[in-house]
Amino acid sequence: MSKSEYFPQKVYIERRSFDFPLTKRILKNISHIPAEIINNIQDFLEDIQTSRGVIKQGKKALLLTCQRGEFVKPCPCTPEYIGCNYYIINLDLNCPLDCTYCFLQHYLTNPLVTVNVNLEALWKQLDIFLNRNRERILRIGTGELGDSLALDHITENSISLISYFREKRNVLFEMKTKTVNIESILKIEPARNVVIAWSLNSIKIAQEEEKGAPPVAERIDAARKVSEKGFLVGFHFDPIIRYPGWEKGYGEVIKKLLKTVNPARIAWISLGSLRFPSFLKAVIEERFPRTKIIYDEFIKGKDGKLRYFKPLRLELYKKIIGFIKDCGGGQIPLYFCMESEEIWQKAMGWVPRGKEDLEAFLSSPLG
Amino acid sequence: MKKINITLNDIFLEDEMFRISYFLSLEKLIPSLKKVGLISPPLVTIRGKRFILVSGWKRVLACLKISLSPIPVFVIEKENNLNTFLMAFYENLASREFSLLEKAEILSKLKKFGEDEKKIVRHYMPLLDIPSTLSHFDSFAAFSQFEPEVKKVIHEKNMPFPSVKLLAGFTPRERKSLLPLLAPLGQNKGKEILKDLKEISKKNDVPPEKILSSKEILDILGAERTPPLQKADKIRFLLRKKRYPTLSAWNDSFDSLLRNLEWPKEIMIKPSQFFEGENFSITFSFKNQEELRASLLKLQELASREELSKIFK
Repeated sequence: MSKSEYFPQKVYIERRSFDFPLTKRILKNISHIPAEIINNIQDFLEDIQTSRGVIKQGKKALLLTCQRGEFVKPCPCTPEYIGCNYYIINLDLNCPLDCTYCFLQHYLTNPLVTVNVNLEALWKQLDIFLNRNRERILRIGTGELGDSLALDHITENSISLISYFREKRNVLFEMKTKTVNIESILKIEPARNVVIAWSLNSIKIAQEEEKGAPPVAERIDAARKVSEKGFLVGFHFDPIIRYPGWEKGYGEVIKKLLKTVNPARIAWISLGSLRFPSFLKAVIEERFPRTKIIYDEFIKGKDGKLRYFKPLRLELYKKIIGFIKDCGGGQIPLYFCMESEEIWQKAMGWVPRGKEDLEAFLSSPLG
Repeated sequence: MKKINITLNDIFLEDEMFRISYFLSLEKLIPSLKKVGLISPPLVTIRGKRFILVSGWKRVLACLKISLSPIPVFVIEKENNLNTFLMAFYENLASREFSLLEKAEILSKLKKFGEDEKKIVRHYMPLLDIPSTLSHFDSFAAFSQFEPEVKKVIHEKNMPFPSVKLLAGFTPRERKSLLPLLAPLGQNKGKEILKDLKEISKKNDVPPEKILSSKEILDILGAERTPPLQKADKIRFLLRKKRYPTLSAWNDSFDSLLRNLEWPKEIMIKPSQFFEGENFSITFSFKNQEELRASLLKLQELASREELSKIFK
């Protein structure tokens, strides 16, 4: 068991979610943890929301519930910047890690680490969705509203998801994590259309701003193991954060990454500089009063989010792309998450003609 | 609750345990009292052998000013402090808007009188049009502890919640030293000073007091002939440059380029907001063909100048 594995202090099960197979599996895997059945989830959540330290407290509890609506949604890409036609599966909501910059701190009204247990509905929805889009190659991932693998030792969802997607011809499925929770993944046969991806940062930022996440070196080593097992791997330098010495910090991590993981097994690397809605700033100030990352030169971008002043972003990107190329990663597909055409042109040297163009570029691992 | 007549001397005004309003304007009430007397009796309660004023401070102070005594009052009997305070709260809630500082007093008194924190957040804060979060509750509780002179400026400037929240992040001493800067400025500029000062301090690990006592700022404050508004504005600009050095440098070089080009003032050229987009916009007005032609010719001449290309880099 990895020392970074998460276990809740208590499990709450919504009454109507009790009989699902995933609920049974989870309860078996954490049988040592006290559990309580909840009848009225709204009252329960309202009560929690007015508790002190609600976000921190929420991370100590696991809620098993059912997704009422759509599991699969288009990634809520920011308007006015280039998107990548990504789809997200909302299976786990919230995250036991506690990153300073995490947008979930203000995004979700439910503060509990939550698993939607009605997988049967997910498979049905996915069958319909994939069939409807059978003419194109879709990029779908978990890990937008929660870490894809942080609960995997409890849910074993990676096995179910990879087994489902393995047979699908028109999908690249990505699981995105900061953890090293790869035991289940190493147990199963790799699938050519599955990418296991890690969010990386400089060692300093990971240590200071990614509370609860394993060190960067451990993440890179986990990626090596997974890629040697035969999976494609991906990396997300997102959010890239400026601080005195950032060039050296990011340069070291990129060097280590491309020395450790075979670049030919890397499906993509995405880059995104720190950005956040202004209301998140207040939450960060309150929860992380010692952080300095929100006091750099942020301006209001075209989408209303705060992002680094353009010349500063450009400098970050140019340096990091240079590091990747210098370290032997020249052939790895690189893309920006939520950036403007101007930044694409000036930093990457090309601009996708639209999100479909970028989708096709990033689907190249499928051949 | 019974209604009786008492003299103003019977009310022990030194006890302000139920008071929520401190900045009262009596000008309009006094002529009204002189004309029709006190129609709406204040609420009092009895503690020990004294009458304590619960609600109606403005009315009682105005009566005191014109020596209108005795006055009718409603006496709240045999109620604990919380229930007594709630009577005053609901009486006022129905009849007027509370100011930000009054809301702060109400929340802090509810807590002091033993009301459950969750109930305050979920029940009372929505009644006061405050978002139901503990974070907001904590902010308002902090506001109620502000120094009287700070509260006075907040009241006079009608400062909004975000600015007052920024003030709460400073020490009492820092707040006092900020007052001369806030007093002459409008709401937005005042907020800008507070935000920039706080963020420069956080980013550089320098206490706000040290920033405020830097030579540059002391020189501005010490300039005898400069009016307070200009001083505050100069300090605001200075802080903005420290907070956003790269953006400020871009703005300065854009302005300098326009000066070098001798760009005419009647043709306004603007980059996109914060230079985030690539586009520039030009606006000018004209009242006849001749003026239009002159502006277009000038623009044509400017467009052909080599130096203009620097604007697009």
